[in-house]
Amino acid sequence: MAAQRKKKDKTGKGRARRRELESRRARWRRVLRTIALVLLCSGFVAGWSAARYAIGVDRIVRERFEGRLFRVPSRVMSAPTILYPGLDWQRIDLPGTLVRLGYRKVGKGGALPVGHFNWQARKVRIHRRPFDHPSRAEPAREIILRLRRTTIEELRDARTGRELGALLLEPELVGAYYGHDHEQRELVRLEGVPLHLIEAILAVEDQRFLQHRGIDVRRILGALWVNLRSGRVRQGGSTLTQQLVKNFFLTPERSLKRKLHEAAMALIVEARYEKEAILECYLNEIYLGQRGSTAIHGVGEASWLYFGKAVENVSLAESALIAAIIQSPHGLSPHRDAERATGRRNLVLRLMHEQGRITQAELDGGVAERLHVAKITPEPRDARFFLDVLRRQLPDFYSMETLTSEGLRIYATLDLRLQRLAASVLREELAALEERYPSITSGDGASLEGCLVALRPQTGEVLALVGGRDYAVSQFDRCTQARRPAGSVFKPFVYIAALEPVSGGPRITLGSMLDDGPLEVRTATGVWRPANYDKKFHGQVRVRDALEQSLNVATARLAQEVGIPRVAEVARDLGIESPLPSVPSLAIGSADLSPLELARAYATIANGGIRPRIRTFEDVVDSSGAAVERQSIGFERVLDAGTAYLATSLLEGVIDRGTGRGVRAGGITGPIAGKTGTSDEERDAWFVGFSPELVVVVWIGFDEPRSLGLPSSRVALPVWTRFLQEATGGRLRGSFLPPAEVVKVDIDPATGALSLAGCPRRTPEFFLRGTEPDATCPEWASRRPESRRSRRDRPSLLERLFEEWLNRL
Amino acid sequence: MAESTVRRSWKGIVAIGLLGSFLGGCSLPLGGRFAPSGARPFSLASVAEEGDAARRASMRLVLSGLDEDQALRPDQALSLYERALQVDPNNPFAYLALARHHVDGADPRRALAFLDKADALLAHSDRRPPGLEADLLGIRGSALYASGRIDSALPLLDRARSLSPIVWDDAHLDARELR
Repeated sequence: MAAQRKKKDKTGKGRARRRELESRRARWRRVLRTIALVLLCSGFVAGWSAARYAIGVDRIVRERFEGRLFRVPSRVMSAPTILYPGLDWQRIDLPGTLVRLGYRKVGKGGALPVGHFNWQARKVRIHRRPFDHPSRAEPAREIILRLRRTTIEELRDARTGRELGALLLEPELVGAYYGHDHEQRELVRLEGVPLHLIEAILAVEDQRFLQHRGIDVRRILGALWVNLRSGRVRQGGSTLTQQLVKNFFLTPERSLKRKLHEAAMALIVEARYEKEAILECYLNEIYLGQRGSTAIHGVGEASWLYFGKAVENVSLAESALIAAIIQSPHGLSPHRDAERATGRRNLVLRLMHEQGRITQAELDGGVAERLHVAKITPEPRDARFFLDVLRRQLPDFYSMETLTSEGLRIYATLDLRLQRLAASVLREELAALEERYPSITSGDGASLEGCLVALRPQTGEVLALVGGRDYAVSQFDRCTQARRPAGSVFKPFVYIAALEPVSGGPRITLGSMLDDGPLEVRTATGVWRPANYDKKFHGQVRVRDALEQSLNVATARLAQEVGIPRVAEVARDLGIESPLPSVPSLAIGSADLSPLELARAYATIANGGIRPRIRTFEDVVDSSGAAVERQSIGFERVLDAGTAYLATSLLEGVIDRGTGRGVRAGGITGPIAGKTGTSDEERDAWFVGFSPELVVVVWIGFDEPRSLGLPSSRVALPVWTRFLQEATGGRLRGSFLPPAEVVKVDIDPATGALSLAGCPRRTPEFFLRGTEPDATCPEWASRRPESRRSRRDRPSLLERLFEEWLNRL
Repeated sequence: MAESTVRRSWKGIVAIGLLGSFLGGCSLPLGGRFAPSGARPFSLASVAEEGDAARRASMRLVLSGLDEDQALRPDQALSLYERALQVDPNNPFAYLALARHHVDGADPRRALAFLDKADALLAHSDRRPPGLEADLLGIRGSALYASGRIDSALPLLDRARSLSPIVWDDAHLDARELR
C-alpha cells in the first residue's frame, strides 16, 4: 500500500514536471514567435525604409543629373582691341593689355608659343590666341609689330610675311553675373580634355576609378590602416564619384551618417550613369582655386586661371599641377607658393609613372619643365555700374536667373581702357576736391559723389560708365538712375530751338543780339525774375556771348520768345526722356535729367543732328556659341545738319572763350565743344563736352542735395579735362566741319551786322545759307549815305560785295 | 585764194578751240556731279590708302567686310563694318558699305539711315567722284524701291544708271562692285 502510494506520488510528480516543462516550452515558443514576428516586422520596416531611402536618393540624383548640372554665370566681354599701323601703342597700353589678357612675356629667340609675346625696343612678336567672336572666329596667329617710338609702324603675319591692315586682339573680361555662390566655370566636354590631364587626376585622386562601383573598399581599408597607424587622418578613401556626390548634394560635415549617405549616393550614381558622364561631371565641378572673390570650378576655368590658356592646350606638367592642387587649392596654389606647388606636381608625375600612365621620358620631361603660371587678372571692379546698366538694357527674357546660370557671353561696347581710366580719374579727382576744398564735405560727413559717362556719338556706344565713387559702398548709379537739375547744360537746347529753321525761318542767327536786361515772367506761382551768376545784367549781347558766358536772363528771354513747349520739344528730339516741366525756368535748367540722357542729347549735336540709339552691347551668344541677341547700331536724323553745326560752333566758343576755357588751360588742343552747368545754390556741378569722336558727361554733387559752394568750372570741368587728356593723349582726331548749308561771313561783333571794308571790327561768324545779316556795321553805313535809303532800295548783298571789291581796286 | 583758205582754217581752229574751252570751262564748276554718262565706276579700294592711319585701318576693315559680304557671310561682314567704325567713327565709306549691306539684307530703313550718315560725311569731301555719286543715288534708289516707294526710287536708279551704267545697269550694287 505504501509502495503503491509511493508509486502514485512519483507518478504525480512526474506528471507535474511534464506539465511544467510543457508550459515552459510553450512560453519559449511564444517568445520565439514574438521575436520572429518582431524581426519580421523590423525587417519589413527596414527594407521598406531602405527602399524608400534608395528611391528618394535616386530621385534626387536623377533630378540633378538629368536637369541643369551647373549654374554658369554669364560673362560680359569688352570690345576687342584693334591694332593697326599708325596706332599709338603707348596710349592704348598694349603691354598692359597683353598681360591682362593672360599673355606671357618671354625672352627673345626660339619658337613663340600661343599666348606668349616678346617685346623688344623696335619689334614686338605676339602669338595671338584663337578666339571666337559672335560673328567671326579668329584663328591663332603669330604677328610681328615694328615700332617707331610710341607708334606701330608695321604689322605683319610672322608666318606668311604678309602685311596686315588691322588685327583684333581678343576681348577682355568686363565681369560676370554671379549667383549667390559666386562661382565661375568654363564647361568642358570630356573629349576636349587632354588624356594626360585625366590620367593625372585619376593617378592622384582615384586610381581604381574604372574598376570600382562608386566606393572602393580596398582603398577605404588602406586609408583606414594608414590613419590608424599614424593616429590621425592622413589619407581619404573617397572615390571621384563620392567627391562629386559630396560637392553636388552634401555639406562638408564630417560624420559617419554623412559618409554613409555619400556612399549610398555614389553607388546609385554609378549604377545609373556611365563612367564617362561621371568623369566629365567631376572635371567641371571640382573646386580649383580663387580669382579674387570668385570661386573657380572645373578644369576648364582652372587652366585659364593658372596658365592663361584653354584646357585642350595644357601640357603634361601643367595637367599634373591641376591634379596636384585638387587636394588643397588654397594651400597648394602656385600663385601662393610656387615651390610647394611644384613639389606636389612632381609627386603627381611620379605617381603617374608608378601606375604606368606615363613613360620615364615623360616623367623626366615633366619634372624638368619650369613652372610658368599666368598672372591673376582680377575682374575689373570699376565696371560693375556698367554691368547693371547692361542688364537693364537686355530684353526682359534675360532675367537675373538666366544671366546667373545660362553661361551666356555678352559682347559689350565698353572700352576697358577708358572704363578703368574713368573710374580712377573720378575717384582721384573727388578725393582731390575734398582735400582742396575741405568746406565741401564739412558738416554731416557725407562724401562727394560723381558720375562719368563716355559715348561714341556716331553710334551711341557706351565706352565708359562709372556711376559712383565706389560700387562696394553704394550701388546707386548716378549716370542712369539719378535725375538732377541740369543747370546751364540745358541752355544749348534753347539756342537750338531758336536757331532751327522751322516754319518762317530761324528766330535768331549767330549774328543776332539778345537782351540781357531785367526780366519778369508771370507764372502760376508768382513772378519769376531770373538773375545771372554774377548778379549783373549785361544789356545787349551777341548770341554767342550769351551762351559762352552762360547768361541766364538772355537765355530765359530767348526761351520766352521761342516758347517753352518748343524748347521742350527740341530737347526731346535730341534725346532727353525725363519729364520736362513747362515752366519758364526750364530754359536755364530746372528740369531733372540723368547724365546718360544728356550724353545722348549732346551726342546728337556732335553727330550733326543724327540721334544715336544708346548701345551697350553688340551680341549675346549662348553657351553653345550660337548668337541669340543683337543690338544694332541705330540712329535717326532729328535736327538739320546746319543747326547742329551752329550749336557745335557755339559750344566750341564756350571752350575757347567762355566758362569752359579751363579745358584749354588744362592743355587740350583741337576740336572741343562743351558746356558747364551749375544748378541752384551750386548743388550740382556738370560738364558736358565732346570732340568729333567722344562725348563725355561729368556730374558731381551729393546724393542728398546740398551746396558745393563752387561753380562747375572748378568742380566738374577739371575731372572732364583730365579724363579727356588721358583718354586721347591730348591729340584729338577729326574736326567739326560746316555742312554745305552753312556759310561763314564777317560780322561786326558789337552789332551783329555785316562787317565790310571800313568797318573797324570784324569777326567771322557762321550762318545758315540765306540767313546772313542784311545790315552793315554803323561805320560803313554812315560812310555811304545811300545806304540809309529805304530797305527796298538798299543794294543787295551781292551788289555791296561788288562795290567793296571795286573800292579795293 | 590759198591765203584766205589758210586764214579761214586758222580761224576755224581758233573758233573750235574757243568753243571747246568754253564748253570745258562750263563743265568745270559742275565738278563730277553732273558729269556725262559712263563715269568710271567708284571702288572703295581706290580710296583705301587715303587719310590718316586710323582711316586707312578702318578702310581695310571695310574692304574685308565687303569680301565677307561677297562670300555670303553677312554676319561677319557686319562685324567688320562695326569694327571699322570703332577705329574711325567718321569714315563715310563704312556707312556706305553698311547701307549697301542693309539693302541686300532687305532692311531699307536702316540702309537709308546709314546712307544719310555717309552722305553727310561725304558732303565735306573735296573729291566726290561721279562713280561715288552714282552709288549714293543708286543705293538710295534701291532702298526706296525695297521699302515700296517705287515712284521715288525709279528716278534715282535711272540717274545712277546714267552716271555709271556698268555698275547700275542691273539696278543693284554688289559688294564686289563697291569694293
